[in-house]
Amino acid sequence: MTLQTMILKMSDGFGKTCAIFFLTLLFSLPLGMLVALLRMSRNRVVSTITRLVISILRGTPLMLQLLAVTYGPYYLFGISVSRNKLIPVVVAFSINYAAYFAEIYRGGISSMPVGQYEAAKVLGYSRVQTFLRIILPQVVKRILPSVTNEVVTLVKDTSMAFTVSYQEMFTIGKQIANSQTSFVPFLVAGVFYYVFNLLVDFVMGRAEKRLDYYR
Amino acid sequence: MKKCLALILALFLSLSAFSALADTFVMGIDPEYPPFSYLGDDGNYTGFDVEICKAACDLLGLDLEVFAVDWDNKLIQLDNRECDCVWSGMTILDSMKEAGYVISAPYYDNTQVLVVKADSGIASSADLKGKMVAVQLGTSGEALLNGDLADLTATFQELVTCQSFLMCFTELEGNAVDAVFVDLPVAAAYTAGKDNLTVLNENLGAEQYGIAFRSTDAELCEKIEGAVRQLVENGTYAEIAAKYPDIVNNLLFLSK
Repeated sequence: MTLQTMILKMSDGFGKTCAIFFLTLLFSLPLGMLVALLRMSRNRVVSTITRLVISILRGTPLMLQLLAVTYGPYYLFGISVSRNKLIPVVVAFSINYAAYFAEIYRGGISSMPVGQYEAAKVLGYSRVQTFLRIILPQVVKRILPSVTNEVVTLVKDTSMAFTVSYQEMFTIGKQIANSQTSFVPFLVAGVFYYVFNLLVDFVMGRAEKRLDYYR
Repeated sequence: MKKCLALILALFLSLSAFSALADTFVMGIDPEYPPFSYLGDDGNYTGFDVEICKAACDLLGLDLEVFAVDWDNKLIQLDNRECDCVWSGMTILDSMKEAGYVISAPYYDNTQVLVVKADSGIASSADLKGKMVAVQLGTSGEALLNGDLADLTATFQELVTCQSFLMCFTELEGNAVDAVFVDLPVAAAYTAGKDNLTVLNENLGAEQYGIAFRSTDAELCEKIEGAVRQLVENGTYAEIAAKYPDIVNNLLFLSK
């Protein structure tokens, strides 16, 4: 097999890698905010349960969570395994990444000085208004580098989808490596991931720069 | 700093030289391939191939070390001296001989079959048009479907490659695929006692199992083969084989 066919076949799978990446971000970024707010809830029961869930999601391998989401429903309730593997893969990734994002959001939100809340109250802002107009914009600025970190990790973690036989780029790379007894496909995969991450770095860098006001 | 590094390097080299001198034979196996090689109930690797290898090593006075390879990368690991042979229900492929590996005489006739749900209405490979079929990544079955049987594969809706045969069967039982393409002994072992699954009576690929050694190890291959021949002659081979009824009929050394 020539290098060209190898790259061509792997870029086929790269579309699926991108699908995991973008769909996961689409769902996990807002879900993370919801989880962060539940985690910071004044209701003890809610915050404790959320804390436990986050601890499980961060404390067990993503690979196990993928297996659990894909095959768990079948083993527990006899529900058919999904034929379109993208669905369980994105569900598992979104839940897992939401847990990490939630903790990043929480860190950002609790780093805001109490004085800002007091000032907003004096100015007649409601609690929701205070959060949306004053706190959130500053939080976004502050947490962006940590979010970039997670996004970069997500690019590489997509390769984990091979555990549930979703035919993304790395799975195809493995298949080629196996049939050709060659390490070259892994090298190609490395280049793919690196170039993708350069792009992520560039986009996130631009975003950070644009949010760099008040300075 | 440089001296320190040199010292460490020297130590490392002498250690590796020492381990090469020790009479240890490292057998590379796929730990998920019953009944040829698998993790036994006692937590140690066992199986037909492992037991034969152990008996052969006992004859030769070698210490046996069983090493679980990553099946997709088995030949690369063999080249890297992580193991001295790959002996684990391994199908002899022409590509291995072309690449220069020393391959033992075949010892097992393998059959590739399809496993389907009993109520699926699939009776032969001709019924697989537009269906989903699962195969284990890195097995000879995968090589067949992408090689000699590519015309058949083209009729599938999709060929799903799974990490292990257990996952292939989970996908089948969970209705995610319509058929699993797998070696007969594995199919027989998995479907035993399961009424919902059927093994189709159609042999889709005759192939043989052998042991792979590095291209420089022709002597070692001869030594091991000689020991196995002794086992066949003194009856130990048949004794061990009797413990594995699923495969005993296809063992080449016993039919003669």
